[in-house]
This record gives sequence, structure tokens and C-alpha cells, in this order.
Amino acid sequence: MTSDTPQREPFLLTLGRHALLLAFVAISLWPVLDVLAISLRPGNRLRTTEFELFPRDATLASYRALFTEQPFLRWLGNSLLVSTAVTVTGVALASISGYAFSRFKFVGRQTMMVSILTTQMFPATMLLLPLYLMIAKLGLVNTFVGLVLFYVATALPFCVWQMKGFYDTIPHSLEEAARIDGCSPWNAFTKVVLPLAAPGLVITALFSFMSAWSEYLIAAQVLQDRELFTLPLGLKSFQSSMSTQWGLYAAASLLVSIPVVILFMLLSRYLVSGLTLGSVKE
Amino acid sequence: MPLQNSLPKLALALIALVTLGCARRDSGQQVVTLWHQMRPEDRAVLESRVEAFEAEHPGVDVRPLYKETEELRSGLESAVLVGHGPDLVYGPSDPLGVYQAIGALRDLSPYFEAAEQEAFDPVALIRLPAHKDPTKSQLVFVGDRFGNHLALIYNRKFVPKPPETTVELLEIAKQNTVDEDGDGRFERYGLAWNYTEPFFLVPFLTGHGGWLFKEPRPEGAAEVPTLDTPEIIAGLRYVASLKKAQVLPRSADYEAAAALFLAGKAAMLIDGDWSWQKYLSEPGLDAAIAVLPMVSETGKPLAPMVAPKGYSMSVAVSDARAPLVAEVVKFLTNEETQRAFLKQSILPSRLALRSDPAVVDDPTMQVSLAQVERGRLMPTATEQRAVWDAMRPHYQALMAGEMTPEAAAAAMQRDAVSKIATLTSRVEPDATAGLVKLLGGVLLAGLVYVNRRTLVDFARDWRRNRFAYILVLPALAVIFLTVIFPLAYNVLLSFSNMSLQNFRDWQIVGLHNYVSLLTGGESSRFWNVFGKTLLWTVINVSLHVAIGVLLAITLNGPVRGKSLYRILLIIPWAVPAYITALTWRGMFDDQFGAVNHLLASWGIGTINWLTQEGPAFAACIIANVWLGFPFMMMIALGGLQGIPKELYEAAAIDRVSRWNQFWHITLPMLKPVLLPAITLGAVWTFNNLNVVWLVSNGGEPSDKTHILVSYVYKAVFNLYQYGYGAALSMVIFAMLLTFSVLFLGRTKATEAVA
Repeated sequence: MTSDTPQREPFLLTLGRHALLLAFVAISLWPVLDVLAISLRPGNRLRTTEFELFPRDATLASYRALFTEQPFLRWLGNSLLVSTAVTVTGVALASISGYAFSRFKFVGRQTMMVSILTTQMFPATMLLLPLYLMIAKLGLVNTFVGLVLFYVATALPFCVWQMKGFYDTIPHSLEEAARIDGCSPWNAFTKVVLPLAAPGLVITALFSFMSAWSEYLIAAQVLQDRELFTLPLGLKSFQSSMSTQWGLYAAASLLVSIPVVILFMLLSRYLVSGLTLGSVKE
Repeated sequence: MPLQNSLPKLALALIALVTLGCARRDSGQQVVTLWHQMRPEDRAVLESRVEAFEAEHPGVDVRPLYKETEELRSGLESAVLVGHGPDLVYGPSDPLGVYQAIGALRDLSPYFEAAEQEAFDPVALIRLPAHKDPTKSQLVFVGDRFGNHLALIYNRKFVPKPPETTVELLEIAKQNTVDEDGDGRFERYGLAWNYTEPFFLVPFLTGHGGWLFKEPRPEGAAEVPTLDTPEIIAGLRYVASLKKAQVLPRSADYEAAAALFLAGKAAMLIDGDWSWQKYLSEPGLDAAIAVLPMVSETGKPLAPMVAPKGYSMSVAVSDARAPLVAEVVKFLTNEETQRAFLKQSILPSRLALRSDPAVVDDPTMQVSLAQVERGRLMPTATEQRAVWDAMRPHYQALMAGEMTPEAAAAAMQRDAVSKIATLTSRVEPDATAGLVKLLGGVLLAGLVYVNRRTLVDFARDWRRNRFAYILVLPALAVIFLTVIFPLAYNVLLSFSNMSLQNFRDWQIVGLHNYVSLLTGGESSRFWNVFGKTLLWTVINVSLHVAIGVLLAITLNGPVRGKSLYRILLIIPWAVPAYITALTWRGMFDDQFGAVNHLLASWGIGTINWLTQEGPAFAACIIANVWLGFPFMMMIALGGLQGIPKELYEAAAIDRVSRWNQFWHITLPMLKPVLLPAITLGAVWTFNNLNVVWLVSNGGEPSDKTHILVSYVYKAVFNLYQYGYGAALSMVIFAMLLTFSVLFLGRTKATEAVA
């Protein structure tokens, strides 16, 4: 990859880059290391009065309990299923509608764009009761379909706008050339434009995945059965007013973030490789 | 790319899989749902007893599920409104008044014969006037245990004999407050407890002869708070004197107080029965439990609140199913079940078990029993919640030394009276009710009329732009089908009088909620919080974008190890925010937090972050900036890929400085990609309840750390003002809509079609 073979840069600038990045890495990791320490502490202690990354009496008991005493793997499976479904549906719908919003001037376009944003403007906690009423009335309790539907609906406004933004940066001349060569509108879109919007697809995918992966409020209304829990619900079940199982909670939190990091690792090369746009743009 | 071609097929396959694989197979079993609030330690016992029940009753499936207080109530509300919700709820008795007021509970008395009832401690069976006919009383609650009471836990290494009077308490506390290394900070404190919840204040009030409500309750009227009596002031004075004697840590919430005691840095601790096992079983800690001491002046014991916990049957249960569901209650409160819970040091509600060896021979149980006998029963009145709400901020101010006992008592009383008035007020439709209905109708008709022309345009445009319409249709359908009902419902509620008094029979009352919101007694508070919310949103979003873009640009240059940097920098986004927000709260702790340690080691001097208005708000912002910058970084990284390298090369040849390259190439080219993220980021930040709530522990200090949503949440859910809350969320909605339209209009974000 071109960007990994460093071009010459003033030494001070390179040093500056590393200093800045290292400082932010430290800030990023600091609280997370604290979470790690909680997960290793015996008992259920959220706080201590000592600074110690690895508690003297560190134990992996919480991790062991997650896999042996709690249906953690089951929750993981549920979450993976739901989040994948949301990601695929969300990316598919957002990539096609974002394209229409970017390329065509049709009646109602602006109204539609603004109105999909409006759905994000209500404080979610205020919609708890009507949401539950609707889920109960429609018979969506304990179904993943209902959950996926709600998640896609909440993730889409951002995804649609994000995709539109990315398509806006891609020159129209590319599809026009393809159309002149005899491509159908659909093929011009999927074969020419879509591959160039890869960074947008990656961001949309990560966002959709994450919005399903970490969502609690809606899931708590839809899923009323421990076997069907997604990870956030499972984590929440370690909570209790003034007697939360902090060890389990912290251990599970760290494990829950691993798939996100892996997904980011897999997808982020499309965010940085520069293999898509640079060379083809005017 | 083959992946893109198969994307639609893959999506279809997945949707099919989700549909088929996940519907719960209900094979004709009778399902009984039980929403409970048991501690994690007790849940295993519950599960095993449920299994025993199912073994005795084949074909019955009891499903216990832990729920938070709010969720439990929203389930019962749904049971009232649409007949769908949990069959049984289990929890402490204090919310029963509210449940009964909305008509959510069924009478259990037909299923518990008189002889059966006599086996229970009478206080564990709660009868309330029936919802429909207040002259009749109903058995709405069958308790299986007593508890939730505070007692004194002491470290025997420092305290050989627990104090019997408050004078002794202060004496022992003084002896144990020590500065070992002479650095001016205490290494050990005499006593600690949770300063944030007024529940922990109650024993000091009762011990001095005070009580929260006038006794007896006035006939047929609301409870009258008595929070400014001489007895209450005496109680507050005693607490303030402890604080003044410096035997208490400067600030302590629940987790901090527990951590101090566990580390041997607090000689005594006041905590509830749910926690005692944790301290007693801690290795290396020689802890013991004692009853709270007697007040030397009054000769009265510090009496904590006591509540039974137990089961209530919801109105979601039909007459046909009621006998079976009652059978579950009987089984889960029978002697065998309660005996199974004895191992958890839980005081049984059945009198026969009080003489069980497991109770008689266990010293902790004996202390627990003695403490319960000195305790005061927690009221089930709906007014209790209003009183907690009124006490909390002033209790916090008293503990922070910002209020005198007299001023705190007066403020508590004033707020309690006004909150109870809100709680019990009934709003009748006014002149604007008809107007609102009429306007609603006219508005709908007008919308259709205005859009009539658009519809014609649509039809014409459809032929020309059919491809575009087909592309946007699926996304629009999914978005609007799911939100339309909740939004419409919210709009209706905002004009209604839905509240505790009018829960089932709410009606459109007109503009009342909006008027009281913008001009009522709380309106100055509203604008204050609104200002804070703006500040919160602007600072957060600016820092998210600034840090995100800065890091993305830094990463986009020639740096070794950039893929590792990228992954490490994304971590704040990947770890669930709930735990990291609480970790941040811990890091801002006055004495043991990492932030203050760092500041001290740099010689800057420490800040008492969480108990002062400004620093507490800053702490929330810092935590939220930390949570949000990786997402912006990711988007900026993606956006940078769209900028052709040739532009920079040309600029370099023309000797354009890096700074000018950034302003004239990078930023304009990032705009289309960053705009949606900034717009929505602002909307999300404006409405971000969680971080503020967790870092400030629900608005500490003294409800000064609120943004609009957390303010709404507290005002509405604690006082059950559904209509008012709906109106507030409409106002929030209008503000955000105005912002978005203006912002998007100025930046021409919907345009950009070349």
C-alpha cells in the first residue's frame, strides 16, 4: 500500500504525529484499563481506593462464570444474528436510497431528507410507553424480526445521509461515461459508483452494526425471555439497584467490545488504503 | 465486485433466517411471566423454586425476568392500557400506591384464605382501597420477606465494641479519623455512608423524633409532609455536626462509601441488608453488624425504613388464568421457599420461620431482626416519591456544607408541598381543548390540501424519476412505519392530562402542558437547563469534530504503526458506555480518583469534581467527549479517502502552506461527509440522557447537573406527568427541528446535486 511506505517528512512533524497519537491512545485506554481491573477483582467492587492495574488478588473467576454460569455464548449468538441482519439490511437500503438522494432531483426530495432526520429528534426515553404498547399490540414481543425492524429504522436516517454525502463526492462523469457505454442505470450505480463509495459503506456498516450491538432500550421492550436476550440485555441483567455484579459486568463489557474491534480491523482498510477514489477523481 | 451483486440475496436470506429461527415455540404451555427485582445472589434461589413449581405443575412455564423499576412500571402501565404486560411483579412495597392508583393490580384475597393469611407477619400483607371502589379494600401484595433496612457495619480491627448512643458514635468516629502520614488528608475515616440518597438520612431523622409525613394521615386527603419540624432540624443538625467534626469523607456516593469500608479506610459504615454478606465475607476484613445506635438526647433509636418485598398480580391476568397465577404466588411465598432464602440471610415474612434455627442461631439474622423491630415501615403512598425528590438535592447540599440544617429543612418542605400538589392535581379540559381539536383537524385537512398539488406533481414526476422513487421507497417505508405510532401518540399525549390521577381516562385538555411549561413556576428552571443543554451540545460536538478530524489527519499521513493506532483509538467507542461512564465517575472521585491524583502530581491542586456545579458538568462533558471522538475520527478517515492526492501535490508545487492546504482543500472536501455526522451528532448529544445521568448520578450535585432530557426524565417519571413530559419532548423536538433546518439550509447539505 502506498501510504505505508513513508514519504519524506520533516522529522519534527513525524515526531509530532506520534506524540499526538500516543497521547490520545493513553487517554483512550486509561478508563478501559480500569474496566479491566474491575473485571479481575474478586467480589463485586466497582471502586477501590488503590491504583492498581492488576489487583493483587486478581482472578479470572468473572470470565469463567460468564461462560459456565451465564448463557453468555447464547446472548453473543443472538446479538451477532440481530446485528448482522441489521447491518446487511441497513447498508443495502441506505446505499440505494442515498444514491437516489444524491443523484436525482425529484419532487419531495428535500422534504423527505429532512423528515427522515426528524425521527431522530424525539428523546427515546419519552417514547418508551407508546413503543411498548405498539410492540405488544403488533405481537412483536419476543421476535427478532420486530427488533431488527426497529433497529434498521433507527440506524437508517444517519446511514442514508452518510451515503448521500459520499456519493456527492464522486464525480457524475463516471456514470455518464458508463451510461454512454450502454450500461443500465442500475448497473452504472452498482458497478461504477458503489465500489467507489466503499469508505461510506464501511462507515454505514459499522454504524448499523454498533447501533444494534449496543442498544438496550428497545430490546428491553421487545425481548422478554432470557434465552432470547441480546448482549446489552444480558449485561444489564447483572445490574441491580445497589448490588450489581460488577466483576461480571466489566468482564462481559470487555468481551462485548472484541467483535466490534475485530469488525473494525477487517473493514478499516477500506477507510485508509486510498485504493478507491484518489486516482479516479478529476 | 461479487459481494455487491449478492448483497440483496444475502439480505433476503438473512431476513428469512431471522424470521424462521426466532419465534419462540409456545407449545401449548401455560406461560406465567414474573418481573422481579431480586438481587443477583437471590435469583438462583428463585430459579430453583420456579423449577420446583414447574415440576409439580406440568404444562406450566413460569418465566422470571429481572426488570428495573421504570421498566416494571411501564409493563404494568401497558397491562392497564392494552391488557398486555407481566402477570406478576415482585419488588419492595413502596410503589404499590402508584400501581393501585393507575388500576394495575388484581385482588389476591380470594386466593388466600384467612387461616393462610394468619401465618404471615401482618405487615407483609398489604391491603389498599380498591381502584374502582375506594370503600372496599383489596389484598394487593403478599410479602415473602422483610428488609431493605440499614444497619451499622463496623470493622472490628478499629472498633472493638459498636456504639450504643450517638455520642459514642461520634466519639468512636473521632478516634478513628486519622491522618497517618501527616499530609493533611485523612487516611481513615470514622464513619461513611451514601450522601446522595435521602433514604440514608431517614434514621437520623426518626432518631430525633421526626417523620416525613404528618401522622395520622388526614382523612380523604393527600399526605402532608413534615420536613421542617424541630425534630427534623435536630436530625439534620446531628448529621451536619458529624460532617463538621470531619469524621466523614468529603464526598461519598454508594460505591465510594463501600470501597472505603472494604479497603479498611472507614471504621464504620451504614449500609442496607442487601450488602451485608459482601462485607462479612470479604477476606482480610473483620466486619460485624450492629443495630444503629440510640440518640443520646431523645433516647430513641436511629430507626431505618423497613419494607416487605413480595408479589402482586397484574390486571393483565384474565379471570380464567388468575387461579393458576395465584398458585405461583402461594408457592413462592410458602414456608419451603422462604426457608430456601434463609441461607441468604433474608428475614422471612412467615412467623413460623422466625423460630427456625437458621434465624435464631445466626447472629446476623438476630441483628437484622432487632433492627427491623426498631424500623419504620416504608410508606406505600404515592406521595413518597415526591418527598424523596424534594429531599435529595437539599440533602446533598447539606452534606456538601452549602446549606444550613434550617435552610435545608425549609427547602425540603417547600419542594415537597409543591411536588405533592403537582402529583395530586387534576387538570380539566379548558377553552383551548376545543381549539386544539379543531386546529388538529384543520391542520390535517390543510396538509392534504397543500399536498394535493404536490401529489399531482408526484404523479407527473413518477414517470420521469421512477428509478429514484423506487430506490428511496424501501428506506422511507421502514423508517416511517415504525415511528409513526409512537410519535402520533406522543403528540396526542402532549395535549392531554395523562397523569397519575388520569391514567386510564385521560383526555385532550388543550394547551395546559405547554403553557405551564413555558410560563409556569418551573419555567425559569427550564430556560436555565436549556442554556446548559446548548452549552453541552456545542462543546461536545465541537470537540468531537475537532479531535476526530485532527486524529484522522494525523493518521492519514506517513506514520508507522498506523493500523495499531487506529484500533487503539477506536476502543472508547467499542466498550459499552454504561461501564466506562461509571468508570469516569470513579476517576473523578475527590480523594481516590485518578484525575485528581494526576492533577496533584503535576502540582496543579485537586478539584472536588462531583460535588460542585461547574466541575460536575465539566466532568460529564469530558466523559462524553471521550466517548464520542472515535466515531468522528472514523468518519473523517473515510472522508479523507475521497480527496484526490493530486490536489495536495499541486498545492505543494505552488508552495501553499500545510495550514492553508487544510483550510482550502481538506475541510471543504470533508464537508459533505462530515455534515450528516455533525447534524445528527448534535441531535444525539442534545438528547443524550445516559452519560449525564451516569456521571452525575442523576443530576448531582443538588439537581444542578441536568440537560433537558435528564430534567424531563426526572420530572416526568418521578411525578408521573405523562402529558407534561410529552409536551416537553415536543418542545425539544421543535428546537432540534429548527436547528437542523437552519443548519442544513446554511450549509446547503440537501443540495450538492451538481
